[in-house]
Amino acid sequence: MGKTQRIVEVMFKAVDEVNEQLTKEQHINKSLDTILTGPSARLDSLALVNFIVAAEQEMEKDFGISISLADEIAMSQTDSPVRTLGTLVDYISTLLD
Amino acid sequence: MGEHKYRSLLISDFNADNLAGYIRNDNHFPAMDALAAPFGQVVSVLMQQNLECWRTNPDLAVVWTQPETIVESFLQVLAYGDFSMDAIFDEVDRYSSLLAGIHERVKLVLVPTWLCPAQCRGLGMLDMRTGMGIANTLMRMNLRLVENLEKISNLFVLDSQRWMNIAGKDAFNPKLWYMGKIPFGNQVFKEATMDIKAAFRGIIGDTRKLIILDLDDTLWGGIVGDIGWKNLRLGGHDHIGESYADFQRVLKSLTNRGILLGIVSKNEETIALEAIKSHPEMVLRLDDFAGWKINWNDKAQNVVDLVSDLNLGLQSVVFIDDNPVERARVREALPEVLVPELPVNKMLYSSALLSLHCFDTPSISREDLERAAMYVAERGRKESQRQVGSPDEWLRSLGTVAKAEGLNEVNLQRTVQLLNKTNQMNLRTRRMSASELLKWAAEGNHRLWTFRVSDKFGDSGLTGIVSLEVNDKIGTIEDFVLSCRVMLRKLEETMLHVVVDYAQSIGLKEIRAEYLPTPKNRPCVSFLENSGFKCKGGNIFSWKVNKSYAMPPHVELENDSRG
Repeated sequence: MGKTQRIVEVMFKAVDEVNEQLTKEQHINKSLDTILTGPSARLDSLALVNFIVAAEQEMEKDFGISISLADEIAMSQTDSPVRTLGTLVDYISTLLD
Repeated sequence: MGEHKYRSLLISDFNADNLAGYIRNDNHFPAMDALAAPFGQVVSVLMQQNLECWRTNPDLAVVWTQPETIVESFLQVLAYGDFSMDAIFDEVDRYSSLLAGIHERVKLVLVPTWLCPAQCRGLGMLDMRTGMGIANTLMRMNLRLVENLEKISNLFVLDSQRWMNIAGKDAFNPKLWYMGKIPFGNQVFKEATMDIKAAFRGIIGDTRKLIILDLDDTLWGGIVGDIGWKNLRLGGHDHIGESYADFQRVLKSLTNRGILLGIVSKNEETIALEAIKSHPEMVLRLDDFAGWKINWNDKAQNVVDLVSDLNLGLQSVVFIDDNPVERARVREALPEVLVPELPVNKMLYSSALLSLHCFDTPSISREDLERAAMYVAERGRKESQRQVGSPDEWLRSLGTVAKAEGLNEVNLQRTVQLLNKTNQMNLRTRRMSASELLKWAAEGNHRLWTFRVSDKFGDSGLTGIVSLEVNDKIGTIEDFVLSCRVMLRKLEETMLHVVVDYAQSIGLKEIRAEYLPTPKNRPCVSFLENSGFKCKGGNIFSWKVNKSYAMPPHVELENDSRG
């Protein structure tokens, strides 16, 4: 499995973890197009916090590295790397390079 | 129609939305909704029970706080300053009073113990010193809280340290705290959810009572029919043998909590029983088992037959078998039976058993402690039934004594337990907490009798309840509950005799009993149909009090409830 695909799998694990707390209607889709922040996002602020923390923990478990998504990202910015699951995967990929 | 959803209210000084999410989504029985009260307002929420969050009439309240927000003096301890233990205890006592104030609003109040983050080393080697250390002080605060609250029958302090231990290094999560005011990692909330649901199941009487076990490679290592009992791996200087012996010790300890053991095994019965009797390292012996089905029949059918012999329901059963095929078979055929997955490694059996969340009860009564012995006595009774000719002769030979007494402090817990656990001989299946029952029984027009039963084979303990509500010269039986252990031994008639006798003594005209059907209480209406009570239609049965209700022969009644 390539690096990007591994990151995708890790992000989907984080999605699974957050979905355990959400109602079915609130579930985050496991798709790279899923919008995480901004006006079109379905996640509320708590779900986003939970997702970011879960993503960081899963990255540490899987890749053995500590990344800090919350520190670097202004979540409301339109060019935020956390805009969608896909942009987040790309951003994490650059952190690993 | 959907499953009934219970309601929980989470009162905390931190953001409890994650916990609420896990409780809502937990798919174990019963379904439960969860509402997190506005966090950081614990004292207000406890004191003002007219607040919006109470309007959902919750069944359960979880009050989870951090020590320093409730006990301000503890901040001094954290800052390594001077502090007074008396001042700390005063604050703990005030908080205990607030908690005690909500127990009548709900069926159950749960209070997780206070914790310090694992990364806080406090004073290091001095941290357990009295009057100095954070850990020492926190332990004493928790113990004070427990001692203050343990007399409240529906309030329980839960050991949250266990959740932290399981969650490990992520138990305290500074990221979640700073970004979301959530102090704990989600594994902690998952563990808490399981304990909260288990406690609530205990309160509503949904507790497993019987563990049915396979033998070969489950209770001991090896196939006894192939290798003989002398060659089984059990105990001794063998890591696998030791783990089987430990597994048996855990099972034995569960019998001391009132949980029964049974065997369903594909084996030759004589060979298997010989192993149980003769193997020197067996921890469990025949008298530890309430019953067994050892043959070559389908295991699911054997489970049904054994449960029927023991007068229990399938919803009481946990089935433990090393063979995944047998587990799948029982799981599929009998969905009410709990069939936990077992680890492949035999050395993990004990810990798998210890971690089950299905045995919680709000109290452990004398009857619980003696339950296994009661079933051994029942085997004696059945044996004597086979030897004695007619049913009448058999009943006479038992020498049954029924002792009636009112509700009191000593029998309260067992009465509540029986009321909440009994399904079959149960007129209306009314479920109540101890405080609800006490309140009900204290009403001037209410009367409640409990019945203890014994015979020449032993004491079956408190096994019957009848309660009556009197209005306008008519007595209505509210509860008519008899443990399946003593059904069909003329105790049913004895209980009706006591009620009618009382009705005559206070000049009532009629006793009524309205049967509320459930999927399980058909035995109750069958009894009423043959009791002599007249069916007035609509499941209402009646007895005119101008006529006495005969005391059955062969039962001796000691009525301590008069006066």
